Amino acid sequence: MGEKILFALISLFLTINYGFLMNGVIRKIYARVGRRHGIPFYQMYIDLIKTLALRTNIRHGTMFYLGPVFRFAGGVGLFLFTPVVFGSAMFGNLSFSGDVLLLLSFQFFGTLGMALGAGESGHPNAAIGVTRGLAQMTAVEVPFVLALMGVAIQYDSLSLHDIVAAQQGGIMHWTLFTNPFIVAAGMLALLGSFMRPPFDVVLAGQEIPIGPPTEYHSNYMALMLSNRAIFPMAKAILFMNLFFGGANTYWEMMIKTFAVVMWSVFVGVSFPRFRVEQSIRWFLRVPLILGILGIVYVQFFMS
Amino acid sequence: MVSPYYILTIGLGLAFLLGLLGKKLSKVNIAVIMLAMISFAAISASWVWQFAFGNAEESLFFSAGFEPPFSIALKLGFQEAIIAFMVNIMGLFSTLFLWKKLHKENDKLAPVLLVLFMGLNMLILTRDLFNIFVFLEITAIALGGLILLDERKHAASAGFKYLLASSLISAVYLLGAVLVYFSTGSLYIDDLILGGPVAGPMAGIAVFLTIIAIVLELKPFPANGWALDVYQGAHPAIAAIISAGVGTAMLFVLHKLMIISGPMMAQMITVAGLLTFLFSNWLGISQRDSNRLLGYSSIGQLGLIMAIIGMQDILGDQFAFIAMGILLSHFFAKAGLFWISGIVGGSKLESFAVLRSRPLLLLMFGIFLFALSAFPPFPSFYAKWDLIFALSDAKQYLFITLILFGSFFEVVYLIRWFGIVVKNTSEEVKEKLPVNITQIIPISVFAAALLFFGYYGQHFMNVPINLNYIPLIAVAALWILDFLPTWVKNTLLIVATLFYGYIILPQLHDFAFIFAIIFLLGAFLTLLFGYSYKGKRPGFYPLVAMMFAGLILLVEAKDLFSFFFAWEIMTAGSYFLILRGKKSQPHAFSYMLFSFGGALLILAGFALAHSVTGSYTFDALTMVGALSPLVFIMLAIGFLTKTAAIGLHIWLPGAHSEAESDVSPMVSGILLKAGVYGLLILFMRMGHQFVLGLDLMVVLSWVAVITSIGGYLLASVQEDMKRLLAYSSVGQLGIILFGLTLMSNLGWLLAIAGVITHFLNKTLLFQAVGGVYSRTHDRTMYRMGGLIHRMPITFIFVLIGIISMSGVPPLVGFAGKWLSFNAVLSKGYYLQGVGMVLAGAIAFLYLFRLIHVPFLGQLKDHLRKVKEASFWILLPQIIILMIIMAFSALPGVLLEPIGSAVGKIFPTGGLTWQDSFLPFGSRTAISEYGYWNGTYVMVITMIIFAVLLGFQMLIQRRNKKVGQFNIVYSAERPSTPETTHAGYHFYAHYQKAVGFLIAPLATNFWNWVSDIVQSIANQIRRIYNGNGQVYLIHLVIYFLICFFIFNGGL
Amino acid sequence: MKLSVEHIAILSGILLMAIGLWGILGRKNILKMIISFTVFDTGLNILIVALGYLPGRTAPIVDGPVTVENLSQVAVDPVPQALVLTAIVIGFGVTALMLVYALKMHEKKKTLDINEYTDLKW
Repeated sequence: MGEKILFALISLFLTINYGFLMNGVIRKIYARVGRRHGIPFYQMYIDLIKTLALRTNIRHGTMFYLGPVFRFAGGVGLFLFTPVVFGSAMFGNLSFSGDVLLLLSFQFFGTLGMALGAGESGHPNAAIGVTRGLAQMTAVEVPFVLALMGVAIQYDSLSLHDIVAAQQGGIMHWTLFTNPFIVAAGMLALLGSFMRPPFDVVLAGQEIPIGPPTEYHSNYMALMLSNRAIFPMAKAILFMNLFFGGANTYWEMMIKTFAVVMWSVFVGVSFPRFRVEQSIRWFLRVPLILGILGIVYVQFFMS
Repeated sequence: MVSPYYILTIGLGLAFLLGLLGKKLSKVNIAVIMLAMISFAAISASWVWQFAFGNAEESLFFSAGFEPPFSIALKLGFQEAIIAFMVNIMGLFSTLFLWKKLHKENDKLAPVLLVLFMGLNMLILTRDLFNIFVFLEITAIALGGLILLDERKHAASAGFKYLLASSLISAVYLLGAVLVYFSTGSLYIDDLILGGPVAGPMAGIAVFLTIIAIVLELKPFPANGWALDVYQGAHPAIAAIISAGVGTAMLFVLHKLMIISGPMMAQMITVAGLLTFLFSNWLGISQRDSNRLLGYSSIGQLGLIMAIIGMQDILGDQFAFIAMGILLSHFFAKAGLFWISGIVGGSKLESFAVLRSRPLLLLMFGIFLFALSAFPPFPSFYAKWDLIFALSDAKQYLFITLILFGSFFEVVYLIRWFGIVVKNTSEEVKEKLPVNITQIIPISVFAAALLFFGYYGQHFMNVPINLNYIPLIAVAALWILDFLPTWVKNTLLIVATLFYGYIILPQLHDFAFIFAIIFLLGAFLTLLFGYSYKGKRPGFYPLVAMMFAGLILLVEAKDLFSFFFAWEIMTAGSYFLILRGKKSQPHAFSYMLFSFGGALLILAGFALAHSVTGSYTFDALTMVGALSPLVFIMLAIGFLTKTAAIGLHIWLPGAHSEAESDVSPMVSGILLKAGVYGLLILFMRMGHQFVLGLDLMVVLSWVAVITSIGGYLLASVQEDMKRLLAYSSVGQLGIILFGLTLMSNLGWLLAIAGVITHFLNKTLLFQAVGGVYSRTHDRTMYRMGGLIHRMPITFIFVLIGIISMSGVPPLVGFAGKWLSFNAVLSKGYYLQGVGMVLAGAIAFLYLFRLIHVPFLGQLKDHLRKVKEASFWILLPQIIILMIIMAFSALPGVLLEPIGSAVGKIFPTGGLTWQDSFLPFGSRTAISEYGYWNGTYVMVITMIIFAVLLGFQMLIQRRNKKVGQFNIVYSAERPSTPETTHAGYHFYAHYQKAVGFLIAPLATNFWNWVSDIVQSIANQIRRIYNGNGQVYLIHLVIYFLICFFIFNGGL
Repeated sequence: MKLSVEHIAILSGILLMAIGLWGILGRKNILKMIISFTVFDTGLNILIVALGYLPGRTAPIVDGPVTVENLSQVAVDPVPQALVLTAIVIGFGVTALMLVYALKMHEKKKTLDINEYTDLKW
């Protein structure tokens, strides 16, 4: 057990660093698309050190104080419950605690705590941002769960280990090729859950210089930056395991998750922004139909 | 035995004497009449006594020593004795009730009253057809006199209509009686029986005329306008006599004459009676005048008993019990209600609100109304049960339908009336209603009689009675102890609950055990809240005890009857509890309508199941055959009204939110589970049923999905926090229903675990919200805000409640999510499963709103002095919190016992449990698809959280809390919390996107139904246009139609 | 067929009943309605007596040729006649009461039109 915890911590450390670098690269890409020079790829480390170094004397209340703690704990927890590398004792993390359903539900732990903390700041835009996020999330969940269900039916398991095991033996065994419908549904849902354009109106409250990040400065911000490094990585690893055959080595994981994240980045730099009600309707059209097609396909053409 | 001729002699003799010497004797007039009435009652009481306890035999008394046909015979049997006793008791108490009036105002009334009751006695006893005519006319003249002598505004015209109608009817009867004589040579009823069925060319018409005349006397729909006008126009005490006294006697005459009628006539009487029952009650719905309303109800009840008399061959042995059960309820209740109307004096339904100044009178008013509505423990309840079962055995489904609809309409106006009287806020009760003792005694005696016969009556039922009266005794005891202060009664009830649980729990197993724990623990937790109330809370504790008695009896029940009995007790108790809320009257009313409608379906479903299997236990539901899908649908809808499935849910939000703060968790967290228990019993026995090849379970699973999504969506758009929680209950009950419809081990595990977690979460949240309400006196969320600074403990409870409810790990709510996904996968209900996930996502919307809008954001100025909720409100929440945390850390403690209970029904497909390397019995649940260890998740999350929190505390040591408005807000510092607090119309964008899904379709549909029902009633009752001559034409047309049906066999 | 006494009696009885019923259902004046009731009753009584009549027999009074022994051979059935006697008495009572009602109603509204007394309805 002690060994497992140690391995999990190592894996956490590596992946956070990977996440920081990835975030830097993403910002660079955004800048270049916008014809700016952009920041250096290691800018995130600078930000982290700077925010950690700054002292704040302010809190708006207990929930406000705990918000980033919840947020980061949620990100770390989600990562720790995810098996990163197939069959690896080192990068199996603490995935013995629960299956993919645990991951599905646990991602809300941090979101909820953060929402409450921001709420206590008393800033109305925080609440508005949260309501937008929650509303969009209800719609994003539908195609994503359809995809997840398709995977579970196809491989007869909810355990990520088993799901990845079933996809071994060549690229044609990946869910991407065995059931493209559900992968399409799932990858469209991913766009929503990564909250990049066109689905980033949720974060608009932070973008214009008001809202949680303004209230959450200095080392509150540090916790949130760290979370931004680990939380999307955990989600990307989940998608990789579900659809792209998992990873047999840490390097493979890095390449595949990079691709997964880049999918959302490329879409993000190419499209303008939806309003919340538009994105809700959008998710309940094409991705929903694809998801249902995927389930039908699994049920009638694969058994 | 005392000869009945004494009644004749006393009656006629005294009446003549007083008539002659009226002026001289006016001082003692009333006393003499009273004595005569007492003597009537005593004589008939002695008969009843001798028949019941002595060895009296049926005997005949002939006039002047001749035998028929040269004399008149009076027959005195047990039946006659009982009916005569009832009528004489009515006479005695009517005289008492009218004492003051007779004494002070109108001493001419007294002799007429005496003649009337003498006539009724003779109508009951005589065996001579012509004699019946004579006494019909004597009672008609006497009644006409009574109505006329009372100087009310419209009494004369009403009485005249009555006289016109009764004269016409008597003429028909006379012709019939004479024709019988010409066909048979006798007027003596027993000769007619001995000579076989009445024969001869005129015989058919003769019998028809005789019997149709009595039927017309019993006011069949629609030829009964004259009777309605009399009920409305006469003094209420006289209306009481017409309804209870004359009506009873007439029914007995009909019963007596039934032996000369053939089966065809019987069928006609049945149909006439049932149509009267249905339509009278239907038309009563639109009625706003109290006495006329009682008239409609009287006519309806008489119609039902008339139908029962017509069906006596079908009912067989149970005929007497059924007829007497309904008759006694009608007799006591209607007389009592008319008398109360006499005390109140007003004629609008609302004017009865003055009863609130007399709690005892109000209680009796309630007893009468609920006895008429056939609630337990009144005689009509037992009789209606037997009636429906007997009809179902005889396959008279049309009759059952008519009776059920009639009963439903009756409840509509009776319960609405009750609600208006108890709660209508437009009528202010300023002064005490004046009453005197001679008016109170009759009403009290009749109310007590209803209770007595209710208890006594069940022993004559056709089913093995296995009722446990101990919980009901607690209810009665609390009525008596109602004068004590709240905390004493609360303690008594808590002790009683715990003690009863200590006794009863070891006797229960499996699901009954689980539900009993919920009900008893729920009672304990919700009662603790009650210590926060000061004063006496009059009437509260008996009602709480009643509801919980019903619930606990429900899980104790092993047969259909005990179950239904408990169901109705629980329904009535919860209705009263909900009605206690300040603005809850319309909501309590719609709760009652849905519950009662559901109960009728359950009753009919049980009866149908019984008619197939012959069993009175739950095994009756294991029936097979063509009827079983129908039975399944009826019972399922019946139970779904209680669990508030979509379409049947519209009563719930109002009822749960308008109830008092500690009643809301009772009805929402606990009471709803009764419906789940019913469904459990139903599904366990009947399983999958198919209609046209469609599995009804699949249909129900979609109903469940739509219920959850709809309930949660509606919860998200509420501004009122209790309404939000109420809609959330709708949705969660949908998830529980979904689990049940899966009909698999995991599905039921999901449902039962859902029952328990919903109980914990909803009780916690409703109590927390009740605590907020106790301090802010507001339920509208956007008017609050920032309460976390004033009520931090309550905030923590709400936080735990919403995390647990939303299914976010590490709390126990996740068990439900995990189970539902696994259950869906193993069952193959994929699309429903996605619906469930969507519902789960929508749940975040309302849960976040519930915690954010009142507790976070900006504290409003008017709430700056608000204090934390009081200790007794917080205490039960602390207990629940600890239970939730324990279940979260060790989900096996919750799931494994349920799993073993479910495993007895679905042996395969359950969870297996694997030991883990953490202590305290932490185990990993393993399903066919996945695995989950709640303890690991809890421990890991806690450690991460603790580490990060430690880090935060380390680097932010000197962190200070800043003022409320110290935020960056467009370079401004806001100072008005109202404009800086986001809370109103919180999910505007969401409504814009999917708002069409929450159009109030169900509400519109039910409003439409209710409009249709009311407008039909309004149109039909136009035939009663008040013109006496038109009423006569109705009578003639009714007569002609019956005549042609009877003779032409149309 | 020769029209005998009892046929005439039966027919006139039915005719009177019909006239009475027409008056009851058709006349708007309360007094006329009451009179129609008495006409109707009279017709009914004649009908009953006529139906009980046996050709060639005498009244059932034990006097002269009619003795207790041969009563059942020579006299008509006494029962219908007794019934009619009673019915007449009762009819008298009912008519009297109706007239009192008419009086009272007239006192209140000064009219005898039955259409005016429709305050209680629906």
